[in-house]
Amino acid sequence: MLQSSSSTSGNEPILRVAHVSKAFGGVRALVDASIDLYAGEIHALLGENGAGKSTLLKALAGVHQVDSGEITLNGVEFVQGSTRLAIEQGVAVIYQEPNLFPDLTLAENVFIGRQPTKGKFVDWENMQSEAKKLFDGLGIPLNPLAKARGLSIADQQIVEIAKALSTHAQVIVMDEPTAALSAKEVERLFEVARRLQAQNQAVVFVSHRLDEVFALCQRMTVMRDGATVGSKMIADTSEAEVIQMMVGREVSELFPKIDVETGESVLKVSNLSSAGSFEGISFEVKSGEILGVAGLVGSGRSEIMRAIFGVDGYDRGTVHLAGKAVPKKNPAKSMAMGMALVPEDRRQQGLFMPSSIARNASITVLKRLSSGLVLSRKKEEHTAKTWGEVLQLKFAKIADSVDKLSGGNQQKVVLAKWLATNPNLLIVDEPTRGIDVGTKSEVHRLLSQKAKEGMAIVMVSSELPEVLGMSDRVIVMREGRMVAHFERNDATPSAVIAAATGSGVKA
Amino acid sequence: MSFLKQLTRVRELPVFAALVIVMGLTSVAVPHFFSAKVAVDLFLGVSVIALLAIAQTFVIVMRHIDLSVGSTVGFAAFLIGDSYSKGFGLEVSMLLAIGLGVTVGAVNGFLVAYLKLPSLVVTLASLYIVRGIFNEFASGETIIESEVPPVVNWLGLNRLFGIPYLFIIGLAVLLIAGFVMKRVKAARDLYAIGSNPAAAELAGIPVARRVFFAFIATGALTGLAGALLLGRFNSANPNSGLGLELLVVAACVVGGVTIAGGAGSVFGAFFGALLLQGITLSIGALGIPQFWQQAVNGSLIIGAIALDRYLSSRVKTTTIMGSK
Amino acid sequence: MSKFHLTWDKGVGLFLVFTILLGTFSSEYFATTSNLTFIIRDVAEIAIIALGMAYLIIAGEIDLSVASMLSLSSATIGFLYRADIPFEAALVGGLIAGLLAGLFNGFLVTVLGLPSLAVTIATLALYRGMCWILLGNKPVNQLPQEWVNLGYSQIPGTFLPWTVIPVVILSAAAWFVLHGTRFGRWVFAIGVNAQAAEFSGIPVKRVKLALFAFTGLMSGVAGVIYTLRFASASPDGAVGYELGVIAAVLFGGVSIAGGIGTLWGVIAAVLSLGVIRSALQLIDFSANALLVVSGSLLLISVIAPQVTDYVRGQRQKASTTKRTNTKEGVQQ
Repeated sequence: MLQSSSSTSGNEPILRVAHVSKAFGGVRALVDASIDLYAGEIHALLGENGAGKSTLLKALAGVHQVDSGEITLNGVEFVQGSTRLAIEQGVAVIYQEPNLFPDLTLAENVFIGRQPTKGKFVDWENMQSEAKKLFDGLGIPLNPLAKARGLSIADQQIVEIAKALSTHAQVIVMDEPTAALSAKEVERLFEVARRLQAQNQAVVFVSHRLDEVFALCQRMTVMRDGATVGSKMIADTSEAEVIQMMVGREVSELFPKIDVETGESVLKVSNLSSAGSFEGISFEVKSGEILGVAGLVGSGRSEIMRAIFGVDGYDRGTVHLAGKAVPKKNPAKSMAMGMALVPEDRRQQGLFMPSSIARNASITVLKRLSSGLVLSRKKEEHTAKTWGEVLQLKFAKIADSVDKLSGGNQQKVVLAKWLATNPNLLIVDEPTRGIDVGTKSEVHRLLSQKAKEGMAIVMVSSELPEVLGMSDRVIVMREGRMVAHFERNDATPSAVIAAATGSGVKA
Repeated sequence: MSFLKQLTRVRELPVFAALVIVMGLTSVAVPHFFSAKVAVDLFLGVSVIALLAIAQTFVIVMRHIDLSVGSTVGFAAFLIGDSYSKGFGLEVSMLLAIGLGVTVGAVNGFLVAYLKLPSLVVTLASLYIVRGIFNEFASGETIIESEVPPVVNWLGLNRLFGIPYLFIIGLAVLLIAGFVMKRVKAARDLYAIGSNPAAAELAGIPVARRVFFAFIATGALTGLAGALLLGRFNSANPNSGLGLELLVVAACVVGGVTIAGGAGSVFGAFFGALLLQGITLSIGALGIPQFWQQAVNGSLIIGAIALDRYLSSRVKTTTIMGSK
Repeated sequence: MSKFHLTWDKGVGLFLVFTILLGTFSSEYFATTSNLTFIIRDVAEIAIIALGMAYLIIAGEIDLSVASMLSLSSATIGFLYRADIPFEAALVGGLIAGLLAGLFNGFLVTVLGLPSLAVTIATLALYRGMCWILLGNKPVNQLPQEWVNLGYSQIPGTFLPWTVIPVVILSAAAWFVLHGTRFGRWVFAIGVNAQAAEFSGIPVKRVKLALFAFTGLMSGVAGVIYTLRFASASPDGAVGYELGVIAAVLFGGVSIAGGIGTLWGVIAAVLSLGVIRSALQLIDFSANALLVVSGSLLLISVIAPQVTDYVRGQRQKASTTKRTNTKEGVQQ
C-alpha cells in the first residue's frame, strides 16, 4: 500500500483517496486506487495510458462517482458527482485541453458567473483589476482585456489556473499540462506551479515526462492497471525505479510476435513536413514489417499518419506507396492505392456510433458490394459477418448498433472495415487503447498474422510494452521530429522513454 | 493596444462604417440626398425592425434563433387595436400585446431550454402556429385608423426635435438593452452559453434557465414592437409582420451578431437595421429600380457571413511545435 | 439505433391512412377522383423539393432558399419566353437556373465553409431579389396553351394529373439512390459523423455540393410545374413554401440532427399534409387551421424522439446499474 513517507508539511493530507474502484459497463477503470495529497506539495501522478489516472481525476473533478472506496477533503467526506460542487469544495482540475469561452475576455473567463459587482451590476473595472492581480500573482502578464480566442494553450492554462485560484481552490490538478507546451512554456508553468506551492496549495501534476516530474515534484504516486502501485518522495527514488513501477510486467510473454521475412519496400515517406505539426519525417516500411511509432501524446504521431493517409494535407515532402506517388489530401485515392488507416479516436473518427455493425464494417468497400449502381444489403451483411468471424467479433445481431459493443469489439469493427479493403499498408493508431487484455491479445495476433501474409504495418502506440513487443523496428517522435530509430533488439523501455522524453536516462 | 488598433477590433465597426459609406456615396451621387426628410424616412422606417433586431440579439448570442417574431409582432399590433376598439383602454391593450409576446416566448423558451429541441424547428413551428391563431382571431378584419389608440397614433406621426418618436423609443430600448447586456451578470451568461455551451455547463451556469428567460425577453420586446408597428402604419391586418423575421435576422448578422453565437451587441444589431434601411433609401435615391433591393440585401448578408468567417479563421492557435 | 425511427416512418404511413379515413368521413367530396386529382396536383411541387431537402437534412445541412429557387426558375422561364426564346428552351433555362442556384448554395457551404442555415437565409433574399430583377413588376401570363394544359389537366383516360409523372419518377429514383446505392450510404454516413466519413474515404465536400445542386435542380423542376400550373411566371410566387417542405421532411421522420430518415416517410408526410389541407378546405375550415396543424406536426416530429430517447435512457440506466453491481474478481 502507500509508504508512510514524511510529508513536507508534516500534517494530515488535505485530500485523501482511499481504495477507490470504478467500472464502466464491463471495463474496470479503477480497481484499487489511492492517493494522499498534502498542502504545499507538488505531487506527481504517474502511469501509462490506461492505468486509470484519467478516471481518478474525473472522480475528483466531479464528473463521476466512484463505485467503492472513500474520498475525504480536510477530513470531511468529499461530495462526488457534481462539477459545480467539486469546485465549491475547493478542487479544481485543469485539463490538457482547456475549456475557455473564446469570445469573452480573459477577465470574464476567470470570473464568469461570479463577476465582482457594484450594486447589482457587473463592475468591469474591478473585474479587470482583480484578474490582473491574479495573473500578476502567477507571474504571467496576461492582458485581462484580451479575448480568449487565439490564445496559446499555455496561456489558456494560466487563465484556468487563475480561475481556480479565484474560486479559492485548495487542490489544483493539472492533467498532462505540458503535453502541448514548448520548452520555454514548460519552464514558465513550473514557475507558476512553484508559486502555487508557496501559497500552500496542493498541486497534482500528471505527466509522462519523467525529467519534468523529477525537476518539479516532491512526491509521486504510480498507478498501473487501475491500481496504485506505490507512492514515494521523489528524493527517495530514481527514474529507473519509477519506470520499473510503471511498466511492471514482463514484456515478452504477452504478445505472440511471429518472425517474418520482410519483402519489398511498401511505404516510403520522405521529408514530410507540416508547419506547426511535424518536420522532416522520413522512414520506410517493407512488406511483412511492423514499424512501431513511439512518442508522448502530442508529439505529432497521429498528425503524421493523417497526413500520409490524406485526411490532412502537408506542406513539403512526399509519400510513395509501392513506388508510386500518393497524392496529397485524397483519402479515397490512398485507399484505392492500397492504404488503410485505423484512426486514433475510435468513436469520433473510426465509427458511426448509432449505425449497425453491418453498415460500419462495409462502408469502405461499397463499390465492391454493388453491381453497377445497386448496392446489395445482403452483401453488406455478408461482408460484415465474414470479417466478424475472422476477428472473432462478439455481437448479438449484425444489425445491432456498434455503440452496444464493448470497446474491444468496437475496435474489431474498425479493423474489419479496413481489412476488408485488402490493403498493402495498414496504419493503426493506438490499436488497443481502452481495450481489455483478452481482446488486446487477439488484435496483436491478428496484426502479426497479417504481417506474415505480407502486409506492411505502421503501429502508433503510447503503450510501451505493445510497441516493444510487436515491432520489428521502432521510431520515436518528440515535438514533431523523429529523434530515434531502433532495431528490435536495441529497443529497450528506457531507451525508448529516454528518446521520447528527451531525458538522459540510460538502460 | 493603441486606441486606433482597439477601435478596428470593435465588432460593430464594419457595419457602422458601411452605413456611413453607403450614405456618403449616395450623397455624392445624388445631391441633397441626405436631407432632413431622408433622415426622418430612415429613422421611421427602421424602428420596428430595429426593436426586433435588439430582441433577436438575446437569442442569437446564445446560438439560437427565433423565427416566430414576424407572426408575433403582427398579432400584437392587431391585438392592441382590437382590444382598444373594444373599449379596453391603452394600458390594458399594451399589456395584452406584451403578454402575448411573453407567452409565445415562454412556449418557445420552454421547448428549447428544457426539452432541448432545436430552436430553428421550434420557432419555425411557432411561426406557423401563431400566424394561424392570429388569422383565426382576426377573421380577415383590419384594424383601421380609428381603432388605433390615439397615443400610439400620435407617437407614430410626431417628432421630437425632428426625430420621430418611434425612433426615440427604439433608441431608448437600445440604451437600456445595451446596459443590461453589458452589466447584468445573467445577461453575460448568455454570451458564455453561445461561446462554449459545454464549458458553460461545467462552469455552473444555469443554462436552461437563462435560455428560457432570454426567449421570454425576446417575446416581451416583440409584443412592445407591435405597438410600434401599429403606430407606424396606423393599421394592422392578418398579413402584418409577414416575412419580417428574415429581415430581422439579416439585420443582426450584418450588424455583427454572428450566428455562431457568443459575440455581437444590440448596438450592432441596431446599426444593422439602419444599414438595411439606409440601403433601401439609397437604392431609391440612386434611381435603381426597387426590384434590386432584395438581391442587394441577400448579397450583403452573404458578404457579412463570409467576412465574419474569414476574420475568425485568421485567428490561429498555437500548435505542437510552438508556432502561431 | 433507429428502431424508433423505423417505426416512425411506418407511423407516418399509418397517419396517412388515418387522415384519408378522416377525410372520407368528414366530407362526401373527399374520396372523389377529382379531389384526388386536386391533392396530387397540390402537393407536387412540395413533394419534389422535399426529395432534395430530405437528402440535405439527412446529410446534416439545410436549405432555406428553396422557395426562392423555385420562383427563380419560374422567373427565368418567363424572362426567356418574354425575350422570344422558344418555350421549350425557356423551360430548360428554368431548370438550369435552379441547378445553378443550388450549385451556388453548395459553393458557399462547401468551398467557403459558411454555415448553411445562415447562408441560405441570405440566398433566399438574393434569389427572390433576382426574380424581381428579371421580371420587374410584370408577370408573364401569356404562356403556350399546350404546355399550360400539361400543368393543369389530367392524363387522358385517367384522373391522374400529368404532374404525377415527374413526381413518381423522381420519387422512385430518389428513393432508390438513397436506400439502395453506395451514394445513399455516403449521405447517411456524412449525416451521422462527417469526420468518420472523411476518415473512411468518403468525399464529403463533393457529396454535399452535389446535394445542394440536386436540391436546386428539384426546385427548378418544381418551378416548371408551378409555372405551368398557374399559367404564369411571376416574381412573388411560392413565398413561404420552404416551411411546408421542411415541415413535411421533418414530420416524415428525417431527424434535424442528420443521419436518420427514409424517403418513404417523407412522401407519406407530404401526402398527409396534402390530404389534411384538402379535408380542411372541404369542410370549410379556414386555411388557418392548416397552419396550426402543420406547425404542431413539426413540433411533434421533434418532441417525439426526445421522449423515446428519454424513456430508453431510463430503461438502460436501470439495466446497467444491475450489471456493475455484480462484483467480478480482479481480471489480472
